[in-house]
Amino acid sequence: MNMITLEKVSFLFENTKLEIMDSISFVARKGEFVCIVGPSGCGKSTLLRIIAGLIPPSSGRVLFANHEITEPNRKISFVFQDFALLPWLTNVENVKIGLSRSDISDEAKDKKASELLDRFGLSGFEDYYPNALSGGMKQRVGIARSVASDPQVLLMDEPFSSLDELTATSLRSDIVYMLENKNISVNSVIMVTHNVEEAVELADKVIVLSDKPSHVKKIINISGERPRDKRSGQFAAYMDEIYAALAKDIEQ
Amino acid sequence: MDFFALILQLILDASASWIRMFIALGISIVISIAVGIYAAVSPRAERVILPVVDILQTVPILAFFPFALYIFVVFLPGFIGINAAVIFLIVTSMVWNIIFGVYESIKTLPKEFLELSDLYQFDRMERLKSIYIPAALPRIVEQSILSWSIGLFYLVTSEIFSIGISQDQVRWGIGVAFATLVYQGASQYVTAIVVFICFVVATRFLFFRPLEKYSVRYMRQQARVPQPAQGYERTVIGWVSRNISRAPSVLTSNRILKGRKHVSHLPTPKTRHDLRMLYYAGLAAIMLLLIYVFATNRMLLELESVVFPAIIASFVRIWFAFAVMLAIAIPLSVYLIFMSRQSSKYMIVFQIAASIPATILLPAIAVTLKSGELVAFAVFLLSGIWYVIFSVMASTRTLPQSVFEVKKIFGVKGRSAWSNIYIKAIVPGLITGAVTGIAAEWNASIVAEYFTNASGNLVSSVGTGLGKVLDLSLVTCKSGASCWTAQYGLPALSGSQGLMLMGVALLNLVVMIILINTLVWKRMYRKVSKIYMG
Ligand SMILES: Nc1ncnc2c1ncn2[C@@H]1O[C@H](COP(=O)(O)OP(=O)(O)OP(=O)(O)O)[C@@H](O)[C@H]1O
Ligand SMILES: [Mg+2]
Repeated sequence: MNMITLEKVSFLFENTKLEIMDSISFVARKGEFVCIVGPSGCGKSTLLRIIAGLIPPSSGRVLFANHEITEPNRKISFVFQDFALLPWLTNVENVKIGLSRSDISDEAKDKKASELLDRFGLSGFEDYYPNALSGGMKQRVGIARSVASDPQVLLMDEPFSSLDELTATSLRSDIVYMLENKNISVNSVIMVTHNVEEAVELADKVIVLSDKPSHVKKIINISGERPRDKRSGQFAAYMDEIYAALAKDIEQ
Repeated sequence: MDFFALILQLILDASASWIRMFIALGISIVISIAVGIYAAVSPRAERVILPVVDILQTVPILAFFPFALYIFVVFLPGFIGINAAVIFLIVTSMVWNIIFGVYESIKTLPKEFLELSDLYQFDRMERLKSIYIPAALPRIVEQSILSWSIGLFYLVTSEIFSIGISQDQVRWGIGVAFATLVYQGASQYVTAIVVFICFVVATRFLFFRPLEKYSVRYMRQQARVPQPAQGYERTVIGWVSRNISRAPSVLTSNRILKGRKHVSHLPTPKTRHDLRMLYYAGLAAIMLLLIYVFATNRMLLELESVVFPAIIASFVRIWFAFAVMLAIAIPLSVYLIFMSRQSSKYMIVFQIAASIPATILLPAIAVTLKSGELVAFAVFLLSGIWYVIFSVMASTRTLPQSVFEVKKIFGVKGRSAWSNIYIKAIVPGLITGAVTGIAAEWNASIVAEYFTNASGNLVSSVGTGLGKVLDLSLVTCKSGASCWTAQYGLPALSGSQGLMLMGVALLNLVVMIILINTLVWKRMYRKVSKIYMG
């Protein structure tokens, strides 16, 4: 079943008339982890915001299940690169922001938000402000917020790029766990990354974009159970394939 | 009067005022460069200069104008004295934030630049010319724009004020024109306002715009490229830290302690706490001493019995007007920032509105409203409100895109949006606005609470108030007049007693400002910066 479908999505910024993307199509199926890689500035973040319903595409459309996305939707959630925690709210209040569309009582929201923080190893930090936390902990709060409303699709814009490698590794496995665990609502992840190794490690499918105006250059399907052995020949081959697809662009 | 003659006269008046302004700005910039650089390069100077500038900036210096006028006119008679007093006053309103601007830009200069100049053995002049001044220029210009609007307020207010004391009156000046023309008819008065606004707008676009462009010419590309919703400039933390660093002076001692990279000689949190305790103890000791001196001196006690109720009355008036300001400014700015999302369009409008001093309306307000209390309220409200709106807008102008995105993605609406996003996002701006707005109100008090027309006749007056006491004591100093009997039922005071009264009033004002800064704003700022910046 297709969770997210992009049909010939094109985009240009009205104010600068800069053509960012040209007719991008791909699907993210149920259970799939999709990574998007591409040269810097090619429009990955913009694309993710279009999928989230934050900005409308100039042409083409994005479907969730079989409905066109026209505005943000509680079934699709977003993890920001800079965490985007509101510094003036405590951690538990930040997670509660993720429950804004839920009709449950305020106490129930408090309870659920605390449980989520607990699940991400942050019990005891409920009433601290985000600035008291390390980067990794902040992003955990960001992830807790984004899964609070039980979304089916998780969109992530370079979620680990500002974290150290150890923290990133543990958060990656949290995401994979959520995707693979049937009891957790998340059943599709679309992640933008510039880290090719990360893409091969996590993705079922890697979308390689060209420089702007960007189009889909190559879609590489990656097989194999996670966690994957980074030292295997297969792993290196996938990485080479992605690098090659990216590099062709640079040479042109 | 012939319309063209009127215009010509107004242009001459405004030009005279603008000459005072430009002289004051020039003096301010020179002082700022010297003091700012000195404070930034010498840790010892820094320790003295920062706290002093900090206090001076929050004292409503306009309240000292009667005193300054007295001193200047005594020593420099006639034309020179009065103009020197006005220029001096404008300088004291302009100089502080430019000093901080210079100080901060040098303080945050990458170490490499200084190492570079060591490497090539620049002498002091070369260093100044090729490193310090260019590095500080963008902030100097930015702060000068702000200073200019504050200065206009002082200019007009002091010109209007000088009229009450007829023999020291400023002859040429737009403030004088306002106060005289209001009696000649609405159309003349409105023409004067139009001419004034033209001058303000022309200065903004013909003088500051090019300067702004020039000062940031090497940053142009960076600044102009539309930033995608990421990168330091757009992150929440980046916003907060820039925003807080725009917080006003009162807050500086703290601001400097926060988030500065190479200021290793600064106290650690622990000693900072000790320092604060020491500061409180010192403050308490000075208070006790003052109370003792006042309690044991009958004369002082008698003066204090006039001044104390006066300062309380002004305080209530000013804070009441401030509460009304908040009730207007908060919904308005939230609407502009979050709902219409057009705040950047209105920014320049507010910038210009904020630089049009409310006191240009004072003569008209005083003539139409009649009641002294109403006049004071209207002038206070108009003096402060733009600062509040302006600093809220300025502080949220760079709010990271992701805050808006979080709101949309998670569908935050209604009450939750107000309490979780709108109100809290504007808090740093509100604090800045409150400090500057309330200072503007105190400044306006010398004309708002007691206003005399060009022939020296009283137009409007409140029952009692600090501004009124200061005005009256100047009149007393000048002529030993017995206005005290009429207004306060006191025996006529001699000139020196009048001067003493002024001193007591100013002392009360300074003590109150320091107490409020310490007990209210610094605390609030500490709390906010802890939450917002970690
Ligand atoms: N609001 C805007 N108006 C005009 N152009 C914009 C705007 N936001 C981004 N752009 C431009 O659109 C292009 C794509 O930006 P985007 O942030 O989507 O790229 P990206 O692939 O995510 O880059 P990065 O690898 O740096 O994260 C960039 O060239 C950028 O300059
Ligand atoms: Mg990006």
